Amino acid sequence: MSIDLTFIAQIIVFILMVVVLWKLLYAPLNDAMEARNKKIESGLAAAEAGVEAQAKAEAMIAEQLNEAKNKAHEIIAAAEKRAVEVSEEALNKSRREAEQILDSAREEVGAELERARQSLREDIAGIAMLAAEKVIEAELDAKRHAKMIQSIVEEGMGAA
Amino acid sequence: MAGQEESGGIAGHLQYWSYSFDDSNPFMQIHLDTMLLTTFIALGLISFALWLRCRLVEGAPTGVQNFMESVIDFINQTVRDNFSVNNPLIAPLAMTIFVFILLCNSLDILPAYLMHHVAGLFGLHHFRQVPTNDLNLPAAMAVSVFLLVLYYEFKLKPGHFLKELLLQPFAALLLDSKNPVVKVLGVILIPLNLTLKLVEEFAKPLSLSFRLFGNMFAGEVIFLLIASLLLVGSVDDISSVGGVVSGALGLLVGLGWSLFHMFIGLLQAFIFMILSVVYLSIAHQPVEH
Repeated sequence: MSIDLTFIAQIIVFILMVVVLWKLLYAPLNDAMEARNKKIESGLAAAEAGVEAQAKAEAMIAEQLNEAKNKAHEIIAAAEKRAVEVSEEALNKSRREAEQILDSAREEVGAELERARQSLREDIAGIAMLAAEKVIEAELDAKRHAKMIQSIVEEGMGAA
Repeated sequence: MAGQEESGGIAGHLQYWSYSFDDSNPFMQIHLDTMLLTTFIALGLISFALWLRCRLVEGAPTGVQNFMESVIDFINQTVRDNFSVNNPLIAPLAMTIFVFILLCNSLDILPAYLMHHVAGLFGLHHFRQVPTNDLNLPAAMAVSVFLLVLYYEFKLKPGHFLKELLLQPFAALLLDSKNPVVKVLGVILIPLNLTLKLVEEFAKPLSLSFRLFGNMFAGEVIFLLIASLLLVGSVDDISSVGGVVSGALGLLVGLGWSLFHMFIGLLQAFIFMILSVVYLSIAHQPVEH
């Protein structure tokens, strides 16, 4: 157990080993580990960004889906409203047409009634003439007394 | 008588294969066995590093690369835990200390007397198989670390280090007191401060080197004792009942001690590395005002 020249030689060996192993063993391994760590970190960051992007996309999809649903509801509501309006319009139109048909029918009925009344007046006038002839036993001039008979008939009809 | 012979064998085994440049000066000799083994380990490590460097993969590591990355990661983590500032030299230094000492200590797994006998085949009378059992190696590493500590102390905080060297632990006498007599006392105590500080500083490499040397040396001596006391030395002895029992017991105890001593070798490598990092970390710590 003595200190001798081995001590000096071992210092040289040790220093050389530190330098050589630093360059040949430690640095390459450490660089490889750091490069891998960076790669893993960037991969994790990318994965995290991907997850965030996915969450954003899902949120956007949900938002767009809600908007679409709301729009669909609005369209359906508008369509229903329009359908109600169209049906009401059709109903009103039918009613108006029915009323028109009814009015024209009434007018026709009125005209027919008027024609019937006119015919009846003429018949009644003829009958009244015959009856008057029979009553007064005298021959009346039809052309001369027609106006008078007509007024009598109208009064009679008005009373009827 | 036999015991005396074995003791002589142990003492003989603890001799170095050395070459003396000047017989009158004990410093002027070199331990060839230590130099040969450390050079062999160093060249092995460099060859391994070159071999591994050509096979490094960027993706998931496997096999040897995976193992070495675990070692590097462990060392980096140890340095990070103890080092507040970034110094690219510290981790490679710690790695070299740890790996080199561990490999040197691992040579103790070889059977006692084996290298001695192998060296005897080449006409050598002495050969020590564990380089860390030679105080020159732990001392060289400890002194290298100590010189590095001194370098950083002077480089990073020269004034503070000189002040600590000359004035601690009695700095208050000279700096804080307004009494001129106390100030003179403070000046008088400077040599004492210097002595205490030098003892404190030199204790670091001494404890670092002697801890490793002492543990490994004691381990080797115990190996030799186990081999000398329990293992038989001749074919006639091993054919007897006592020889068989003694041999089996020797193998069992030797194996147990080998396992324990491997753990001690690993522990000593770690302790040397962590203390070196801690000493360097202290040298890097900023001055507290």
